[in-house]
Amino acid sequence: MRRAPLRLAVGVGQLVVVAVVVFFLTTSLPGDTAEIVLGQDATPEQVAALRAQLGTDRPAGERFADWASGVLAGDLGRSLQTGQPVVTELSTRLGSTALLAALTLLLLLPLAVLAGTAAGRRAGSSLDRGLTGFLSSVQAAPEFALGLLLVALFALQLGWVPATGGGGGLVTPAVLVLPVVVLVANQLGRLARQVRAGVLTVDRAPHVVHLRRLGLPEPVVLARHVLPGAVLPTIQQLARVVDGLLGGVVVVESLFALPGIGSGFVEAVRARDLPLVGGYALLFAATTILVNLAAGLLSARLTPYRAVLT
Amino acid sequence: MTLSRRTVLGGALAGAAALALAGCGGSGGSGDRLRVAFPGGGSRESLDPHVVPQFVDQARAKACFDVLAGWSQDMAPVPRLAESWESDASGTRWRIRLRSARWHDGRPVTATDVLATWRRIADPATSASAAASYRTVDFATSRAASATELDVVLSAPNSFFPLAWGAPGAEILPEGRIDPARPVGCGPFRFVSFTPGRSAVYSAYEGYWDGVPPSRELEFVVIDDENARVGALLSGQVAWVHDLRPTSARQLESDSRARLVSAPDSNTLFLPVRVDRPPFSDPRLREAVRLGIDREALVRVVLLGRGRPGNDMFGAGLEYYPTDVPQVTRDVDRARALVTEAGAQGLAFDLQTSTASPTFDPAAGLIAQQLTEIGLRPTVRQLPSENYFTAIRTTGVASLTRSGTLPIPDNLARRAVSTATQANYTGFRDTRIDDLVARASAATDPAVRDAAVREAQLLLRAESGNLVWASGAYDVGTAAHLAGYDVARTNSATWARFDRARLG
Repeated sequence: MRRAPLRLAVGVGQLVVVAVVVFFLTTSLPGDTAEIVLGQDATPEQVAALRAQLGTDRPAGERFADWASGVLAGDLGRSLQTGQPVVTELSTRLGSTALLAALTLLLLLPLAVLAGTAAGRRAGSSLDRGLTGFLSSVQAAPEFALGLLLVALFALQLGWVPATGGGGGLVTPAVLVLPVVVLVANQLGRLARQVRAGVLTVDRAPHVVHLRRLGLPEPVVLARHVLPGAVLPTIQQLARVVDGLLGGVVVVESLFALPGIGSGFVEAVRARDLPLVGGYALLFAATTILVNLAAGLLSARLTPYRAVLT
Repeated sequence: MTLSRRTVLGGALAGAAALALAGCGGSGGSGDRLRVAFPGGGSRESLDPHVVPQFVDQARAKACFDVLAGWSQDMAPVPRLAESWESDASGTRWRIRLRSARWHDGRPVTATDVLATWRRIADPATSASAAASYRTVDFATSRAASATELDVVLSAPNSFFPLAWGAPGAEILPEGRIDPARPVGCGPFRFVSFTPGRSAVYSAYEGYWDGVPPSRELEFVVIDDENARVGALLSGQVAWVHDLRPTSARQLESDSRARLVSAPDSNTLFLPVRVDRPPFSDPRLREAVRLGIDREALVRVVLLGRGRPGNDMFGAGLEYYPTDVPQVTRDVDRARALVTEAGAQGLAFDLQTSTASPTFDPAAGLIAQQLTEIGLRPTVRQLPSENYFTAIRTTGVASLTRSGTLPIPDNLARRAVSTATQANYTGFRDTRIDDLVARASAATDPAVRDAAVREAQLLLRAESGNLVWASGAYDVGTAAHLAGYDVARTNSATWARFDRARLG
């Protein structure tokens, strides 16, 4: 816990590096916003006029300095494409992504603990082999292939759920069913394997064996002594999952036309919308740093010896 | 403060649950709302009807606004806000009479609105898509003769002037009440709301001059992924989807839940080669490529038969298209001989492509293979799709492009004249085209006009390097029970017009 401020300070340094690298990588891409938003029929005069209007005809260094000073003053600037504040653009899309991430985690965590525990306590059994084999094969299926398969079956053939989002009136809770299933299927194998490995180790640990000898009921041994120790190694993996979900799941968002931050970032880069790209870069970097910091703190707090020593 | 392990675990679970519940919600669709889906990536996402780089921008503009005259299926002008028009013998003075129509705020559409609109389009600060078509309007002498009559003076004769009124981005706006954030139009639907990149909602306008639309609401939703668009149509989420790949078109043909609306000759597919740079500055090599590509095979493989081989001229099936020119066919022996004669056996060059159109990549692969058979050595080179059309104006010697439907005179005047910068991917500039366009524009005798347009088309076919390998269909899909939407070529007055469409 005491190292948290130091890690935060390092995180801020990482933010700065990410912002600089992303900004200059994007400026090195061919084409600029004026060309892209005006389309193929624009005349060079029209492109030049829009460049002047957007200020993209100025040197990259100068634009970066302007943007960075704005960021330091708490202003992320405005999108070159839409003219909207970058904060508005990000918050509009962040809601969709946060919802998708939260629902995925809500399903993923209990399923991973259940599957991992069942497999870990009966290691080598047919249940263990069956579960591990099934989860590995689901995890191995690419997201787009699994998504297309689920859409074809559950949306187009059976008509149980909508096929896609797409904004506006199409965004209903039912739209999220298939994307959540795809994301859970993609991550469940990894997390469950971690839990299985943890349960396998802790379940045979001397202190747990001793507690059983003392006659403690099995549910109590499992809930209070096996699982807390077994999920500990899973937290770092979970942090990677959360970071991935909050950083945008481009394939799933594209496949189900969900307006999240993954597809928003891709669109911003395609349009060379530098203030928006910078905003996304800061958001992604901040998310990664905070999620990993939280995971570190959580691991520290859940490690049993700390409770004994402090 | 001391946090127990149990508190930390419990708190984490409760937090996740709260976040999920807080996010649940959203609005369902209503029965009277017609939903249509377009790809929209890369658009500036503004509601300004004069800046319409994408099809979705044009469709939104068409719902809210109207034009003086639209384009028929063969790209001739058809009256809309203009009831009638006539010009003097020179083609420089025009009298336009407006029909009785009202803006969404109840005020009448007047001749001064039209003049103010044209001034705005011609103003370079607007970056209007149709600016080039209004450069010859003399605003100092043009005037509103009455509330519904307009006297227009052009700086040069232009018998094709009414075609400019139907160009994408030529919608009429109310003078002094232009607000792209909350647009007031005179079209069939009134603006309700707009979320850039996601959705735009309109409601039926009871005062529309052409009758109240049967759908109470119209919503444009943006779905970039083509699979997702088709899925949305087949699962009943949307009733109309734009821009389908040939494979999806074939899928919809055999699906009872949908109807394929296929507009023939709506997608001209080009193989432009640079005439101003080696190696294709050598006419023998241009002729070798022309004879070396197998257009029949390209149509069969790339378009799955949904089109016809091109004959190196824009506008198959449209007014002014010369139909009596013999179809160019593959002649491998002659093409090989030309390559040998030019000393270009094994000549390596890049064939530029991108994902800007789903036809480009498969066509590039097949064309490269076909040109290898005549002794050239093309390499397919992928460029980023977002600025592809700008990039190929300055780099490379051969690439793939395409165009939606446009009137042939409009295409000549805006894209083929020597001063044009738009869509010139071959570097061909010839003042003979300018003279022919000027002659056709000034002609009062239709025979003279036809002859000049034909001559320009043939000159471009022979020398411009802008080979046309196919004229393809443009496919949209509708729900099987959607009535009131018929086959419409892109850019025509009825394309993406939903004021008669209704879910049965």
